[in-house]
Amino acid sequence: MNTFMKWLGIAVVIFIAAPLVIVVPMSFSTARSLQFPPPGYWFGYYEAYFSDPRWLVPTWNSIIIATATMVLTMLLVVPATFALVRHRFRGRSIADIMMLMPLAVPSIVMAIGYYSYFGQLGIVHTHLGVILAHTSLAVPIAFLVLSANLKGFDRTLERAALSLGASPTQTFIHVTLPILRPGLIISALFAFVQSFDETVVAIFISGRGAETLPRKMFDSIRQEADPVIAVISTLLFVAVFIGLTAPLALAAIRKRRDRACPA
Amino acid sequence: MTTGLSNLTQKTNLWPWLLLTPLALFLTVFFVVPLLDVAIMSFTHPRPTLANYERALTGALYQRVFINTFLTAGFVTLCCLLVGYPLAYLMSIGSQRTAMLILLLVTMSFWTSFLVRTYAWMVLLGNNGPLIWLIHTMGFEQTPQLLFTRFSSTLAMVHILAPYMIMNIYSVMRKIDPTLIRSAESLGARGSSLFRHVYLPLTAPGIANGCVLVFVICLGFYVTPVLLGSPREQMITGLIGTQVDEFLAFGMGSALAMVLLFVTLVILAIYHRRFGLDKLWG
Repeated sequence: MNTFMKWLGIAVVIFIAAPLVIVVPMSFSTARSLQFPPPGYWFGYYEAYFSDPRWLVPTWNSIIIATATMVLTMLLVVPATFALVRHRFRGRSIADIMMLMPLAVPSIVMAIGYYSYFGQLGIVHTHLGVILAHTSLAVPIAFLVLSANLKGFDRTLERAALSLGASPTQTFIHVTLPILRPGLIISALFAFVQSFDETVVAIFISGRGAETLPRKMFDSIRQEADPVIAVISTLLFVAVFIGLTAPLALAAIRKRRDRACPA
Repeated sequence: MTTGLSNLTQKTNLWPWLLLTPLALFLTVFFVVPLLDVAIMSFTHPRPTLANYERALTGALYQRVFINTFLTAGFVTLCCLLVGYPLAYLMSIGSQRTAMLILLLVTMSFWTSFLVRTYAWMVLLGNNGPLIWLIHTMGFEQTPQLLFTRFSSTLAMVHILAPYMIMNIYSVMRKIDPTLIRSAESLGARGSSLFRHVYLPLTAPGIANGCVLVFVICLGFYVTPVLLGSPREQMITGLIGTQVDEFLAFGMGSALAMVLLFVTLVILAIYHRRFGLDKLWG
């Protein structure tokens, strides 16, 4: 391998990794503001996060909103995806594009729209408002994941079940859903994360009654750069790390076990 | 009973519409209507007039911010390409282990929230941060102002958007048939000519995909430029935010938002005609 390319690659890797790694030591720092190297280490800011309602309430709001968004998104997207992937009908390609539109509109545009429209409906600054807004933003992502799964679905399995005498409903419950389960889970997770991370719309409509964690973080970074943000960043970072490596680790363990007893 | 499945799918044309209706209604009420609200406000707030658009398109401040936004998005896209292409290449030719490790790192970065990564750059570039400390330790006396400049927001945006570029290019590179490269070599293509005439054209779809995605996201990026950028060199999103949030100038904010939306949709429509929109995020 060309040595120039190798060094360039290492530089890029450092560029990508450094910001992710740096928040971890800062979260244990005793410094009152951002300071490097940290003057000392303690758990004080972790304690502060886990005992401060100004941080805990937005965290809970985010979890509740993301969970509700996930459920609502799946209820709407699963039937629609079946219709779009498995049926041919007039206007299907237009419907396909419409599903992706919320992803194409810049979030600041939607933020103004929700701010004004939900104000008129009287649901600005409520959980309901944020859930409804987040759901329409999560639809395209859940749809993309699920439709990719459904397109790869081998329909001979359903035909086999039907030819063996299962009713369409039985086939759906005992054949289609179990095969589709990984796709459904990933699709739901994407909807959850989309809502949990969504910041711009939340900045404009989540205030007071339903402040989300990203909104609180945004305000805090803008005003005072509270070191507690380093704690939250570290926790979120660890969550992402576990979420990504757990499936790999499980696969590795399963592989080793299979090799140990090839029954 | 053997016709059960075809019953389910073919017999009636009502079935797909039935399945689509809940989502269609939902998106109409909670996506299309708020969007229309922005469009209407841009013409009617504070009174029915075209003045908002006139100012948005001809006002010196607004023109400067739009130009700054396009230049920034273009520059960020270029930087992402310059950073992403070599890394994707190293992943595609390196050992499986190297490729896996880099891919894990890039995916971690991709999934870590924009806010966390923006905050991390604030820590890294802060006046008492690691970078300034490093500069001091190396013996330099002067402390440059890194935060709240064009430099800091650009750097953070490149970092945040680079994974989109890397993953798009890598997925194309991985699928390149190595026999194509070998046959080009056997026909005498070497070094830069092999790259220019064979490898680069083969990876072009990934480049196009990555560039469109990064450019469009960058145009509409709010969090990072607002938190890390220089207040004097705003991006259009920041200006829209202040119009609405501070001045309650909903009409002006909406007109600027509609211009931003129009530009974004034109870029995506051109891409759609060439490649198909579903490929962009798929």
